[in-house]
Amino acid sequence: MSASPLIRLQGVWKTYDTGEVQVDALRGIDLTIAHGEYVAIMGPSGSGKSTLMHILGCLDTPTRGSYLLDGEEVASLSSGRLAELRNQMIGFVFQTFNLLPRASVLRNVELPLLYGGVGRQERRARAREILDMVGLADRARHLPGQLSGGQRQRAAIARALVTRPRMLLADEPTGNLDQTTGAEVMDVFDALNGIGQTVIIVTHDAAVAAHARRVVRIVDGLVSEDRARAA
Amino acid sequence: MKLLEVIADGIVDVRAHGGRTALQTIGVVLGVASVIATMGLTAGGRQQSLNYMAETGGVLKVMVYPRPPETVRGTARERSSRGLTLDDAEAIRASIPGFELVEPAMRTRSLLRSPRASKSYPVTAVAPGYAELHELRVARGRFLCDEDLTTRAAVVVLGADRAHEFFGSGDAVGQVLRIGDTAFRVVGVLERREFYWNRSETWNALGWMNELVLAPVTAMQARQAGAGSRRVDELGLRLASARDHKEGVAALSRLLLARHGVEDFQVFDRQENLRQMNEQGKIYDLTFLVCGIISLVVGGIVVANIMMASFAERVREVGVRKALGARGWHIFVQFLLESLVVTGFGGLAGLLLGVAFVHASAHLLQQQAVLTPSMAVAALACSASVGVVFGFFPALQAARLDPVVALRTEG
Repeated sequence: MSASPLIRLQGVWKTYDTGEVQVDALRGIDLTIAHGEYVAIMGPSGSGKSTLMHILGCLDTPTRGSYLLDGEEVASLSSGRLAELRNQMIGFVFQTFNLLPRASVLRNVELPLLYGGVGRQERRARAREILDMVGLADRARHLPGQLSGGQRQRAAIARALVTRPRMLLADEPTGNLDQTTGAEVMDVFDALNGIGQTVIIVTHDAAVAAHARRVVRIVDGLVSEDRARAA
Repeated sequence: MKLLEVIADGIVDVRAHGGRTALQTIGVVLGVASVIATMGLTAGGRQQSLNYMAETGGVLKVMVYPRPPETVRGTARERSSRGLTLDDAEAIRASIPGFELVEPAMRTRSLLRSPRASKSYPVTAVAPGYAELHELRVARGRFLCDEDLTTRAAVVVLGADRAHEFFGSGDAVGQVLRIGDTAFRVVGVLERREFYWNRSETWNALGWMNELVLAPVTAMQARQAGAGSRRVDELGLRLASARDHKEGVAALSRLLLARHGVEDFQVFDRQENLRQMNEQGKIYDLTFLVCGIISLVVGGIVVANIMMASFAERVREVGVRKALGARGWHIFVQFLLESLVVTGFGGLAGLLLGVAFVHASAHLLQQQAVLTPSMAVAALACSASVGVVFGFFPALQAARLDPVVALRTEG
């Protein structure tokens, strides 16, 4: 299916029904992202960029419109299939890292493989390999609380990558980091994209967006700007 | 995805919550402990009754005694009753097949004399079957035999205490004991028997066996004053099998009533006692079980409560897990298992506590304690079902969380 784009959104609406009022978070988004792209999605808070990220990440489905993920229509899938897609196709990186505090780094990284039904031996081997890649091989047995912020985010990136997903979906990945460690984390994303990994970063930070090669701006639930940056 | 691995994943989480888990289990621990303790103690009491019965001729023994005349309403007919007689025994032997032993015994108080002592005691006139009926055991010599009966031999078998009283610590067998005016040869001495209902008890429930003076019924009738009386003081019977019990005992009462015209006898039926005891035991068991179940339910509510709290603070974690690809059932199994492990652990701790309590109280009350594997299984099954029942709802709730909402939750 690599002939089709990785992501194709067509006329995607997301309406939240709060009981009294209906809020349109997304009002007809059209967006196509190819394999291997490095995209920053920007927008002020309340613009709908978080909602867009949830839909891209298969955590939520559009109220209206079509979302083809690698050729598969996501809008009509069951929650089980969505979980499977999240597991196989998408690697999430969160602002607050969201490592499970009571499980070791290794266990955290293994978790998506566990949910994917990968056997213990292979799980362990792949988790160690990926931890080695992000430079945390010697921290595998530590608890997340024993790591620095930068190390935690690298562990979270390792966890996101361990299932070899089609896209990395990062939500303000440097938001809880100081400038230096934030830059280090961005270097990791740059390097990953350099070897062909699709990376989508949701951010309001222009410095972060500057790493991407394409910036999509969301305002009031619509794409207001979509431009490629000079490499 | 392998269920076992999801299970392992859940257990890791429980371990990380040691203190809270311990608190969570207290209700279950105490519930299980109280169930075990009460079951153990009531079973202990019942076992002791069974032990006594086993020591004294088993549960198939039926005893018939004449009802003391003053308790019978005094119509002329009732007063004219001859009470239990040897003829009653013969009639039972002849017409009720369900009894394998029919042993009448007659008691007369006589002056007993040996070179060492002289004192008046009841002498029991019996047949050889008396030993089997009451499970008397001969320590030295022999018991009365059929030949003694047919030859009206002047022989006597003594309980351990009587032997000691009249013949000291030496061997009484072969010595002569005078009963009234007649010289009886001691042919056997019974084993000394003891049974105490609990360990602080000083009354020996088998003491009567040690005080027996047993002579052949024929010899006593031939030689003693009042000979020819066919009145017996007790009629001991044994059923061939528990199956014949109802029918046999009913036939016995019918026969005696028909022969006597009035109910001047009392039947003590161990099968019936046993049934009543079991019935009563069931009431105790039920009461204690209800108490135990109530405390388990309370324990379960605590578990559910803490599961809810734990669930509330782990909403975000559930969101993360779902983002990583966990399906509803992964989360469900994880939460349910956590509750199961907690209550299972509580059940195990409660089991140990209950066993310790039973032993301690058994020691304190000088009571016998009985613990069976089935009690342990029941206790663990109870606590596990508490875990499933009270973990179910929180687990379901967690499984159904919307990942977007869950991820937005602080914590």
